[in-house]
Amino acid sequence: MSKEQILLGLEKAVIGGKKADAKAHAQEALNSGVKPMEAIDQGLVKGMNIVGDKYAAHEYFLPQVLLAADALYGALDVLLPHIPKDQLGTQIKASIGVVEGDVHDIGKNIVKTMMTAGGFGVTDLGRDVPAEKFVESAKANNGGVIAMSTLMTPTMDGMKQVIDGLIESGLRMKVKAIIGGAPTSQEFADDIGADMHAVNAQEGVAKLKAALL
Amino acid sequence: MADTMNHIERDVAALSNKPVDRLTTYPLAMGVCRRCVGDGKMTYREWASDPKKFASGFVAGQKAFDFDFAIGLMDLSVMAGDLGAHVRMDEQNTPFVDKTVVNNPEDYEKLRVPDIRQGRSHVLLEGTSLFVQELGSQVITAAFLEGPLLALTQSASAEKVFMDMVNNRSAVHKALQTMTDYDVEMVKAFAALKGKPAGFVWDYLWGNYSCLGDQEYEEFESQYARKLNKLVADNGMAMCIHNCADLPHLDTQITAFKPAIYSMAYYPLIPGSPSPKETIAKGYADNCLIGGQIDPQLFVRGSVEKMEATTMKLIAEVKTAMCQRGLHSKYCIASGCEVPPSVTTKLDNIKACVDTVKKYGQIQC
Repeated sequence: MSKEQILLGLEKAVIGGKKADAKAHAQEALNSGVKPMEAIDQGLVKGMNIVGDKYAAHEYFLPQVLLAADALYGALDVLLPHIPKDQLGTQIKASIGVVEGDVHDIGKNIVKTMMTAGGFGVTDLGRDVPAEKFVESAKANNGGVIAMSTLMTPTMDGMKQVIDGLIESGLRMKVKAIIGGAPTSQEFADDIGADMHAVNAQEGVAKLKAALL
Repeated sequence: MADTMNHIERDVAALSNKPVDRLTTYPLAMGVCRRCVGDGKMTYREWASDPKKFASGFVAGQKAFDFDFAIGLMDLSVMAGDLGAHVRMDEQNTPFVDKTVVNNPEDYEKLRVPDIRQGRSHVLLEGTSLFVQELGSQVITAAFLEGPLLALTQSASAEKVFMDMVNNRSAVHKALQTMTDYDVEMVKAFAALKGKPAGFVWDYLWGNYSCLGDQEYEEFESQYARKLNKLVADNGMAMCIHNCADLPHLDTQITAFKPAIYSMAYYPLIPGSPSPKETIAKGYADNCLIGGQIDPQLFVRGSVEKMEATTMKLIAEVKTAMCQRGLHSKYCIASGCEVPPSVTTKLDNIKACVDTVKKYGQIQC
């Protein structure tokens, strides 16, 4: 199988949400000497960007997007261990989670996927995450990105607690803080002192890249 | 301007597009109204665990705010909790499922309809009966329940269910049939209550284009919903729908399902989210009372002045749109989603919303 065919196979596996195919093509890439970063950028990320476009155009819906993300992570599990550490070191570290009191994490998971596809080194803190855990993660990364999500109005205050925690720990200036979720807005981001707000995953990644890369 | 119709006269007129003395209003203030009871210290857990306390919140809320409707929403984890999921019950906030009951494909088929004479299903039924008996002669009342797909995603996590729509389709359908059977039992039980509600509100949240397309929604909810909608009507209650998602399936949920009331939210930052005037202009209010679309976080974060200004702006918007459409009264000034039940919600803002509708909600085209 040619390199082009392998890369196209990765792309199509992500677009079709075929995890087994994605893993098989990832292994084929390694066996054929295709560089893992090239397989990610020219295959998986290309496919995920098409999925993002189709979602934005209402051609794809959550089932297709979630399966695409699952396929992407399946292939990444195969490829990432083979990337030299010095190449991974250039990634911007990001921590993402749903704030304490909320367990709605589909949006967060899609943002995580798009950030990963966008080249960020993402740590998923999960859902119902206390403010201290976000701060600890920023400390471990010596800054980077803190991405917070909530779907519920009552838990929005948890986002402010994270920002306050970053200020108290002296990390605020080293961190880009981005928020999202249905009840949030740029006005709310401004109120609590976050750097930016995004309406969807693609916008979030674009804003972060514009600010950091 | 003083009201010249009582609540039920106004509700009935609004539902049938007759002239009204003013627009109807019902900020979806349910759990938060427990703070209007006694010393105001009732916890959410107490309110959601005891039928008398549940009902007392609605009665006290009606006395404090003078709403036009009373709808018995508890929270969205009632059915999942009784199906065996673990519900984290915060003392002063909306509870949620923190441990699902469906964790692998085999678990879908293990779901069984619980005994609705126990658990929070029982609290919801008996509590609804009690507040309907108290308020049914003053306002139009309604029961509230999760639709089958929402009940399943609460029990199994939405992400899992959405992926299994492709990977384990038949197992998901078996579970949805169980959820539907559960809903059927609940509808019949609500209809048999001493305090029988006049209406019945389904929460069909997943009928939105951020999550499901028409094809998936038809397969995984509509086919079940149609039977449930008919069951509600056959049991003598007006079928209503609540959907506070960002891009609701209005053609299915309003035009095809034909609810008496449709409660919806508006997300100005989401492209395509239908605004109040667009909803009316496109004809969705022609045969359905639309309820919405004040941002619920305003009840927490806004001032009384901002609440008054926002309510006045919404009144002006829907008045203009209704007059252009030749409608008299098919809009209820409400919050798009539940007013947060937390202690940080400002009760004064609920009053400000209702009082502003009373003052400025008259329609003269």
